[in-house]
Amino acid sequence: MKKIITLKVNNKEYEVAVAPNRTLTQVLREDLNLPGTKCGCDMGDCGACTVILDDRPVNSCLVLAVQAHNREITTIEGVADGPNLHPIQQAFVEHGAVQCGFCTPGMVLSAKSLLEKNMDPTEHEIREALSGNLCRCTGYQKIVEAVKSASQTMKK
Amino acid sequence: MKEYAIINSRLPKVDAWAKVTGDARYTDDLTMPNMLYGALLQSPLAHAKIKRIDTSKAEKLPGVKDVVTAKEAGLVKYGVSPARYDETIFCDQKVRYIGDEIAAVAAVDLETALEAVSLIEVEYEELPLLLDPFEARKEGAIAIHDDFPNNICAEVHQEFGNVEEALKTCDYIRTDKFVNKKQDGAFLEPQSCIATYDLNGNLTLTSSTQTVHYVQRTVAMVLGLPIGKVRVTKPCVGGGFGPKASANTIELVASLLSMRTGRPVKMTFTREQVFQHSRARHQFFHELTTGVMKDGTLIALKNVCHMDGGAYSSFGIATVYYGGSLLGAPYKLPNMKYDGYRMYTNKPANGAQRGHGGVIARAAWEQQLDVIAEELGMDPLELRLKNMMKKGDVTCNDFNMSSFGMEECLEAIRDGSGWKEKKGKLPKGKGIGVACGFFVSGAGFPIYRSETFHSTAMIKLSEDGGTINLYTAAADIGQGSDTVLTMMAAEAIGVRYEDVRVSSGDTDFGVDLGAYSSRQTLMSGHAVKQAGEDVRNQVLEVLSRNLKIPVEDMDIKQGLIIFKKGKVDFSGLRSQYIKEHRGWVDAPSGDELTFKEAARVAYFEKGVVVGRGSYKPGDLGGKYKGAAVGTSPAYGCSAQVVEVSVDMDTGKITIDNMTDAHDCGFAINRTNVEGQMQGSLSMGVGEALYEEIKFDAKGRVVNPTFGEYRIPTALDMPNVNAIIIESNEPNGPWGAKEVGEGAIMPTIPAILNAIYDATGIRVRELPVTSERLFMAMKEKNKK
Amino acid sequence: MHLLPKFDFYEPDSMAEACKVLAETKTEGKIIAGGTDIMVNMKKGLLSPKYLVSLAKIPGVSSIEPITGGIVIGPNLIVAKLIEFDLMRKKFNLLSKAASVLGSPLIRNRATIGGNIVTARPAADLPPPLMAMGARVVLMRKGKERELPLDDFFVGPGQTKIKPTEILVKIIVDDPPPFTGWDYVKLMHRNALEIAIVAVAVRITLDSPDGIIKDARVILSAVAAKAIHAVSAEKILIGEKPTAKLFARAASLASTDCTPITDIRGGAEYRCAMVETLTNRALSAALLQIKSK
Ligand SMILES: Cc1cc2nc3c(=O)[nH]c(=O)nc-3n(C[C@H](O)[C@H](O)[C@H](O)COP(=O)(O)OP(=O)(O)OC[C@H]3O[C@@H](n4cnc5c(N)ncnc54)[C@H](O)[C@@H]3O)c2cc1C
Ligand code: FES
Ligand code: FES
Repeated sequence: MKKIITLKVNNKEYEVAVAPNRTLTQVLREDLNLPGTKCGCDMGDCGACTVILDDRPVNSCLVLAVQAHNREITTIEGVADGPNLHPIQQAFVEHGAVQCGFCTPGMVLSAKSLLEKNMDPTEHEIREALSGNLCRCTGYQKIVEAVKSASQTMKK
Repeated sequence: MKEYAIINSRLPKVDAWAKVTGDARYTDDLTMPNMLYGALLQSPLAHAKIKRIDTSKAEKLPGVKDVVTAKEAGLVKYGVSPARYDETIFCDQKVRYIGDEIAAVAAVDLETALEAVSLIEVEYEELPLLLDPFEARKEGAIAIHDDFPNNICAEVHQEFGNVEEALKTCDYIRTDKFVNKKQDGAFLEPQSCIATYDLNGNLTLTSSTQTVHYVQRTVAMVLGLPIGKVRVTKPCVGGGFGPKASANTIELVASLLSMRTGRPVKMTFTREQVFQHSRARHQFFHELTTGVMKDGTLIALKNVCHMDGGAYSSFGIATVYYGGSLLGAPYKLPNMKYDGYRMYTNKPANGAQRGHGGVIARAAWEQQLDVIAEELGMDPLELRLKNMMKKGDVTCNDFNMSSFGMEECLEAIRDGSGWKEKKGKLPKGKGIGVACGFFVSGAGFPIYRSETFHSTAMIKLSEDGGTINLYTAAADIGQGSDTVLTMMAAEAIGVRYEDVRVSSGDTDFGVDLGAYSSRQTLMSGHAVKQAGEDVRNQVLEVLSRNLKIPVEDMDIKQGLIIFKKGKVDFSGLRSQYIKEHRGWVDAPSGDELTFKEAARVAYFEKGVVVGRGSYKPGDLGGKYKGAAVGTSPAYGCSAQVVEVSVDMDTGKITIDNMTDAHDCGFAINRTNVEGQMQGSLSMGVGEALYEEIKFDAKGRVVNPTFGEYRIPTALDMPNVNAIIIESNEPNGPWGAKEVGEGAIMPTIPAILNAIYDATGIRVRELPVTSERLFMAMKEKNKK
Repeated sequence: MHLLPKFDFYEPDSMAEACKVLAETKTEGKIIAGGTDIMVNMKKGLLSPKYLVSLAKIPGVSSIEPITGGIVIGPNLIVAKLIEFDLMRKKFNLLSKAASVLGSPLIRNRATIGGNIVTARPAADLPPPLMAMGARVVLMRKGKERELPLDDFFVGPGQTKIKPTEILVKIIVDDPPPFTGWDYVKLMHRNALEIAIVAVAVRITLDSPDGIIKDARVILSAVAAKAIHAVSAEKILIGEKPTAKLFARAASLASTDCTPITDIRGGAEYRCAMVETLTNRALSAALLQIKSK
């Protein structure tokens, strides 16, 4: 049976009727038309589906939409302030941290969560925070550099 | 060096903004009105006869719009190289691996489609399994394909010089074996496609592909459509690395289902299906015999290679050639003999992956060279320097090193890594290793025999002159070709980066063989450069007539017309432009005539201002059989030093440092070049230490997940000191050549050589898991 | 996309209600906590419960409460909090250390301690430290509680003493006695996103700062059908003065206490050898901890 739930996504409330067996990834992508959240494995192994759920980055492919009822969700679509990129996004652009871009939404969200808790992370802390987000293209270096540089910008 | 306005810089990628905001669209992000969802029925058995298929229950399920099997799909054979078309859309008489496609369903949603698939009944008669390529070759083994009774899909025998004679003259000869495991491309975006067939008989296929051109040809051929009626286009693609470089099953099935239902059909692989479809790196069994002189001079190489091909040919014909030809350089090697065999087995088909065919051969040989250096008492880096080819050298198999910064690469990593201070001086458990490699900069020939251009480009100016539209069928799969081609167009014309708008990856935009064999910067680049120069000349010619100034006295820079001989009165043009654009915000101003104004003049004269470019390689060397695989207009090369730590009590390896120098001819975008180097190295680290597709006794992939098929995480990769070497390739646009694949070549052997330095163990089987290394150390201690 | 099989979802707001709901589902219902195990199994088609019951709304299920002589951990506490909470890091850092190598940061933000226990993977990261700390679990059915040492809880891979309609409601951990040191060592292929090849949790308690070993626990993970005590290793440790030689002997005995299999992550022989290495390292680290206090 479908359940009516409320999802607070990127500061906007959505009321949706969802079958309990639908994941948050599916509902974001298919019902709310927010396909910035990617699905790379659907098993929690890659982090492409990362969203921030009540201040914590999680694998949305392993969250039931009904479990997110009444909770705050940030997807990649909610990171920039209108046309103004978030400093992390800006740094990703400038540092060449994006190749195919499939991991990028998840990387940006994991990085955002990190920098909200730790303004001045070490390289190791950055790598640790991104260790649930696989990237096959970049070898991570430019992503790590981007996050480091964003942390410096954000401190100012 | 010449100063450039756009290229050789670090401009951000054109698609970066869309990708960081989530606005970028990949195939599975798209939907069409009235769209159906397709699902596949795949074989649960690795080798079996199909006795009966009953689709009646599936057809009756509400919401099901179509069910197809070989009966409906037909039996047109396809594959990658026309010499080995051995696949049909669906299996007819038999299945050849777990995952082989038997039927498909189109339904109103995925749930219904999957349920319908589960209702299809198939009766099988199991056949003997062949999972081991050496078993498959044996006399009396059952044939996986009737046309290949001994299961040898392809064999290659080449000899350059005279290896047996040459070996007799050598002071030192050694033979080593080496083996890797079947690998996976492990791109993050699973293959996905949407086929839309309209009532005019046009098929539009949107797909996550590296090669719209080849997919277009295959789809048209298999489904019996005129090529011109098939349009293949790609949105953003989440990585490819080789396996997405040919038509896949879902592209064909979705197209078939759309033609039959008249509705758009979407199909997307699950991650498990990606592993089953595979088409990635083969398993190679190399046996290398190398002969040298006392002073380290390389004399001869004998290379015998057996490859586990899997159930179909895929790229295998090219792979089996590359497995030999890619050892022809970077060292001066007068004699080389190669015997390669690719066997069919009942496993997912293997195909192409970054460094196609050459990566494992390279790993095997570079490790052997290290052994040889040690035996001769030479520094391994010196041995390499001693034998290194130089610009202008031609290999024994006729590859022309028209530019070759290999020595510079070696010197750069020697100095950049502190090799001299470290080699031989590190404590036990720490090691340093070096290796080299090279790769083609674009296959010299298309996959099918043809006089086709390899790349075309079209640049069309907007009527206001302000926007330069670049159209190319080249495929940006993340490597950054859209960015590089945009930069090239801007440079060629003389406009700003942001003035160029690129549209790519669409067969309607022209011909481009696509993103494989590291060809686009050089080949698509040539076409774009030519198109840009064409546009530039057209604009300047019109302007010349208009202002009565010779073309040679004008230039275009940063979107402005430069009058070399001093000020020119263009006020007439300006006031006309401004008058026409009253109310618009972008009226030209300043002391200089803008390109926009000049382009507007060209528009008045021509109506359509289009620049054209097309490229195919000139005559390349090699007249022998198989010369088409490996000959290229240019070759990139690289050298690496890797430092490792080994936990001597567990065997666990940590990569501490990597220093990589790559000669890419000329870096169009320096950030992109480094990105390719770092990405290649991380793939190499994965293949060296973790990556292996495992099978159970029934031929099932037991680790079709990113949990158990391990690619490096951010905590497994060190930073790479990426050093760009620029040798100015005469056959490349502005001197540019490849970096996308060649950079992976030295990684595995450099790691292996560092492991040896740390532990005294030569590992000749990949991946070097902690267990493999530990057990080897234990074995050695026993002795 | 792997579709999940169909089920009904319940989110009761009291434990009593949860017990009732679960009882009504007979054996067709399952608890879902973080979902990081159960959803994967459901997507793979290994499980298809008709009902999923979430405890998330029940007050107190996600907390850590200090009690006299120890702490009580709610089953729904996410693994990340085992690392973040000061109390955990200071007093129960063995559990924090194991938590910090579980999966990835993303997984740790969903995965719960209760799920990690009940799922009973032979290589799960939290049972070994919990067993080393002598943790007890409290199970509830029809409103009635029973308490079980975690040592007695596991039966085999995926199998425990919990009844299908029973709920894990608390995990109780006692404060470590004085002069206690411990360590958790996990051998992994990669440095994140890994199930252990072998892991060892060790705890030793001395009778005085320079005294003899009063209590010793050596828990081996991923080398048997469930996390086990290295019984013979524990035996020779107790009553002895801690020395490198003793640790080496204990470690060597530990490798005879296990019965690993060869599976996708590692071979039996290698695992045995690793038990020895890791046990030795963990014992030395534990002793160092006592000495540096
Ligand atoms: C990518 C990935 C990596 C992982 N890495 C690790 C790792 O490194 N180490 C490791 O140990 N595990 C790992 N896991 C497994 C998993 O994350 C952990 O076991 C986790 O702690 C399970 O908790 P959960 O809350 O998600 O459990 P769930 O999936 O919600 O539940 C698991 C099981 O426990 C039952 N259950 C849960 N709570 C209760 C309760 N209160 N009462 C009764 N039954 C209950 C459920 O019914 C289910 O059978 C990984 C998983 C993934 C997907
Ligand atoms: S899609 Fe969720 S972790 Fe890969
Ligand atoms: S950029 Fe392609 S996976 Fe990270």
